[in-house]
Amino acid sequence: MTVRRCETGTLELGGGLEVLVSAALETLRPGEELDVVTESRGAAYELAAWARITGHEVVDEQWEGTGSERRFVVRLRRGSLERVLGSAVSSGHELPELGAGGFATDELRRIVGPAPPAADSAAGLVPLGAAAERGAPGYRWALSSRDPIWSGKLASLADRAARAQWDATTDIPWDAARGLKPDRERAVAQVMTYIAQNEYAAYYLPARYLAHVHPSYLELLLWLASHVHDEARHVEVFTKRALVGGYRAHALASTELSLHTLLEEHDFTSAALLLNVLGEGTFLDLLSFIAAHAPDAATATAASLAHRDERRHVQFGISHIRQRLRADPDERGTLVAAVESRAAKLADLDGLSPVVGESLVVMSARSLQPADVAEAGAAVRSLIHRMHRNRVRRLRAAGFDEATARHLSELHTPNLM
Amino acid sequence: MRRDLLLVGAVAYHPRIVTIWERFRDYFGETGVPTDYVLYSNYERLVEALLSGEVDIAWNTSTAYVAAEQRIGGKARLLGMRDVDAEFRTVVATRRGEGFESPPELAGKRLALGSRDSGHAAILPLHYLEREGLAPDSVELLRFDTDLGKHGDTGDSELRVVEAVARGDADAGALGDATWAALRADRHPAVGELEVAWRSPAYYHCNFTALPSLDEARAAAWREALLAMSYDEPSLRQAMDLEGVKRWLPADKSGYEDLTEAMRRQGLLE
Repeated sequence: MTVRRCETGTLELGGGLEVLVSAALETLRPGEELDVVTESRGAAYELAAWARITGHEVVDEQWEGTGSERRFVVRLRRGSLERVLGSAVSSGHELPELGAGGFATDELRRIVGPAPPAADSAAGLVPLGAAAERGAPGYRWALSSRDPIWSGKLASLADRAARAQWDATTDIPWDAARGLKPDRERAVAQVMTYIAQNEYAAYYLPARYLAHVHPSYLELLLWLASHVHDEARHVEVFTKRALVGGYRAHALASTELSLHTLLEEHDFTSAALLLNVLGEGTFLDLLSFIAAHAPDAATATAASLAHRDERRHVQFGISHIRQRLRADPDERGTLVAAVESRAAKLADLDGLSPVVGESLVVMSARSLQPADVAEAGAAVRSLIHRMHRNRVRRLRAAGFDEATARHLSELHTPNLM
Repeated sequence: MRRDLLLVGAVAYHPRIVTIWERFRDYFGETGVPTDYVLYSNYERLVEALLSGEVDIAWNTSTAYVAAEQRIGGKARLLGMRDVDAEFRTVVATRRGEGFESPPELAGKRLALGSRDSGHAAILPLHYLEREGLAPDSVELLRFDTDLGKHGDTGDSELRVVEAVARGDADAGALGDATWAALRADRHPAVGELEVAWRSPAYYHCNFTALPSLDEARAAAWREALLAMSYDEPSLRQAMDLEGVKRWLPADKSGYEDLTEAMRRQGLLE
């Protein structure tokens, strides 16, 4: 039987010798032999030591040739130990389709199969498709069941989120925010502060789940990370808009009370209903209104960019809840109870804070002449009605019947989020 | 305290020794050979503990074993060694391109050595280089006697040896080939510009030493459990990696003759 030769030239250990020899040994079965040929005596000596500490055996050492043609041949016998204690990794799986849009995240599941309904809650940080080595320390993933946290749209939503990133430092025409009259600037500062305060809650709620999702639910991790990143940018852009004109405003206690009850919700699906469908859904209408009525292009741009992000968040919420309601009819009762229980805690909150409501009117009025104020006031009233109508529409899309949808919309916090 | 418990003594040359022996203790227990361990700060104490019967088995360096064997009168019982212990060698490294063909060329040069109680980094290199023609007083020795009592286990003196050569404070330096290979494979900067110029014949390194009075059946059971320890068992792999062993082997005394002679010639045996 001829022994395979591995020519290593003048390579030394740490300089590539071990790379070539390891690769050659990987192709052998335990007990099979390999002749490593080196021009360097030092390399031959250190190779023998390396082989010993890596579990292989030196069977023979020979000089071949003389003078400048002299070669050292070290015959190694491959040891029986596996370098990695894991099941063999398969190769030759179906290749992903690479369309004009690149390598879509959806394609991952064609390769590795569907997300597991129940993941091993003690698993490690194992990338999709990889085989875990045995003996690694484990974890205790709180969210290791797929259906309670899943949506079929996660992959495409995450891809869209990645494409739609923007920069609150450079993508806003900040200069346009300068020069408003003091009354309007003060009103804008208050509305922006109010929105930023709410965006904090939209940041903390998904961020809380992020660290507990099982690694095999990659699409959800991508999605939640984008969600959190979006909200961080929203906090940033509305904080910057609040301060750019020289005024400061209040973070209101009534808003805080509302957000506090939102953050008390720990059930993933209930939180998706309260935050994504009801809260961010309502904010879609608010942000559209601001984009249309803002007194300056900076405010309008911030609102419309945030609106684009919130649409994705709302779509996630609707698709997740629709899927849950279809899979488990009992979920409906849990969700209704979550909204009712929050409403009970907010019983003393009887409307949108007048500070915010009046600021919205001043911000969107052409002037503080009575006719202009009346017109802006009517627009804000009509916004509040539109919010209710659209909430019902979204709840219907999420799978609630008309009566339940109306009931839940009416119970929604007057703070809007 | 269980009477059938075997007590192993080892030297605490690094915090990882605790990790290793906690796991090994459990392993022996699971295998039906109840074992516990005691750690000592140096091999001289460990040898005393073995000779006085304080421990049943000592996890000895080669020099500790030879010292114990001398005092027992050649009757020590060896229970096993690591795969790497069976073919240990010393290498001499120089700066790349400054190697030599045979040891006498080192005459007049500066040779760095590890701790003077280290078999592989001090005692054996002097012995073998002399055997290959280098007169001991013809080289200027640069000794790094760090961690005395640990017999070179920490690797600290060997690192200082290669650093001295790399810096130019020495022309050549001796260290264990396993340490050398590990430093090189890790791409340690101290060895990046060096090469191996010479290596010694192979010899044995550490072993588990017991007194001849240890009951043969108990010794056999312990040896059997040791040899059965599998690197393919995930819960053992980390401890075995820390110990630098992939497979345990039976031990014999044939690989210690040169060291015994070297220690005698260098006045290191009582």
